[in-house]
Amino acid sequence: MMTYIVFILSVIFVVSFVGFSSKPSPIYGGLVLIVSGGVGCGIIVNFGGSFLGLMVFLIYLGGMLVVFGYTTAMATEQYPEVWVSNTTVMGVFLLGLLMEVMLVLYVLKSEEVGVVFKFSGVGDWAIYDTGDSGVFSEEIMGVAALYSYGAWVVIVTGWSLLVGVLVILEVTRGD
Amino acid sequence: MNPLIFTTILMTVLLGTMIVMMSSHWLMIWIGFEMNLLAIIPILMKKYNPRTMEASTKYFLTQATASMLLMMAIIINLMHSGQWTITKVFNPTASIIMTSALAMKLGLTPFHFWVPEVTQGISLTSGLILLTWQKLAPMSILYQISPSINLNILLTMAVLSILVGGWGGLNQTQLRKIMAYSSIAHMGWMTAVLVYSPTLTMLNMLIYIMMTLTMFMLFIQSSSTTTLSLSHTWNKTPLTTTLILITLLSMGGLPPLSGFMPKWMIIQELTKNSSIILPTLMAIMALLNLYFYMRLTYSTSLTMFPSTNNMKMKWQFETKQITLLPPLIVMSSLLLPLTPMLSILD
Repeated sequence: MMTYIVFILSVIFVVSFVGFSSKPSPIYGGLVLIVSGGVGCGIIVNFGGSFLGLMVFLIYLGGMLVVFGYTTAMATEQYPEVWVSNTTVMGVFLLGLLMEVMLVLYVLKSEEVGVVFKFSGVGDWAIYDTGDSGVFSEEIMGVAALYSYGAWVVIVTGWSLLVGVLVILEVTRGD
Repeated sequence: MNPLIFTTILMTVLLGTMIVMMSSHWLMIWIGFEMNLLAIIPILMKKYNPRTMEASTKYFLTQATASMLLMMAIIINLMHSGQWTITKVFNPTASIIMTSALAMKLGLTPFHFWVPEVTQGISLTSGLILLTWQKLAPMSILYQISPSINLNILLTMAVLSILVGGWGGLNQTQLRKIMAYSSIAHMGWMTAVLVYSPTLTMLNMLIYIMMTLTMFMLFIQSSSTTTLSLSHTWNKTPLTTTLILITLLSMGGLPPLSGFMPKWMIIQELTKNSSIILPTLMAIMALLNLYFYMRLTYSTSLTMFPSTNNMKMKWQFETKQITLLPPLIVMSSLLLPLTPMLSILD
């Protein structure tokens, strides 16, 4: 099972995405986002990116999702929608689950799967130690490069976040 | 809106398009598109009524879907080529998905349904920004990936866009919807020649932007959003009726006005590449466009549209001063003799 851990994690990732895109109440969407964030962190850590995975936990789950949870708790309604309360929500959720199950069976059964790109069975998700990125870990070097060669990216992303806040304040002013 | 915030948000729209046009890394291009989309939403929603909110939501949903498709195409390209530069798209699947995503952003058929609805729901100035500035960024990316675009898909979308733009505008009396359908048709002309000669795409874009700017500014000056209110301009500012006539005929592509230049060059380039049926069809379908422009000129400048007697004696309030209007009118009607200057673009 440990060989296929990335595959299993990615299946749980997709299932939790289906869970919140079938539009239950935002509180339950946030719950499933926590699961998907944690599982996504697991996928990244399995590829050797321990720093980025823990960053996901800290910033995304511990910062943004906490704020999201508090604001949704302020704006919640008396009877929030669960996956089983509304026929539409349950139908979409079951349909997404069904499609994911069919895809997993397809991957498990056949020799080679070529949906948009080819991967030959479950083992393709396994991590092979190529040994190339041996001395320096690639992902921490990437983070270092972001703040040195990629200064323009930092400026652009910082500006986007600032303008994002301004835009959201303007849009929700409603006056 | 607070002027400082408005300036910041408008500058971010400009910055987003600039980032798209000057980046060589696919991720930065995607970031530029998202920044552009994020910042234009409050500009579309300047007045807070349900119609603008619905239009902004529709715009956001379609453009966000297009950005997601673009990101998927970028990742497929990355998987098959291992690099992020935008000179060439290495995989046909990625190229098709990317073309569809950029067509969704431009409003080409079959992704044109949002253009009339969004343009109708917003104010004239926001519609102006939507139909001119927002077309620059996707068109620049199409220009850069033009060698690797699948010709069949692009030509199908182009021809269908010209057809839909002409046919769909026939039943419209609202000026913003007419301009939206005109935009769809012009985008079709631009993308039809993209694979053969991208220079002509840029020429068409330039002249289209000039003509659309002129039309929108003439509408803003007379504050008219329907054909009926446009037909009262003879009483307010009689000169603008002539200018509307000339600019509309230029948009229809009639010589000797500048709107003829891109159509002429495009048809010439297509026939040089041994496709005869296609430019014939395109020229015939441009007649549909010309018909509803002619209908506008008929009601505005060529005849006195029927109105009640009190509409014929309007109070002369202060007219709006639109600074850029005279040069734009001159450029959108008199540029045809400059056609030999196209040789500097090669």
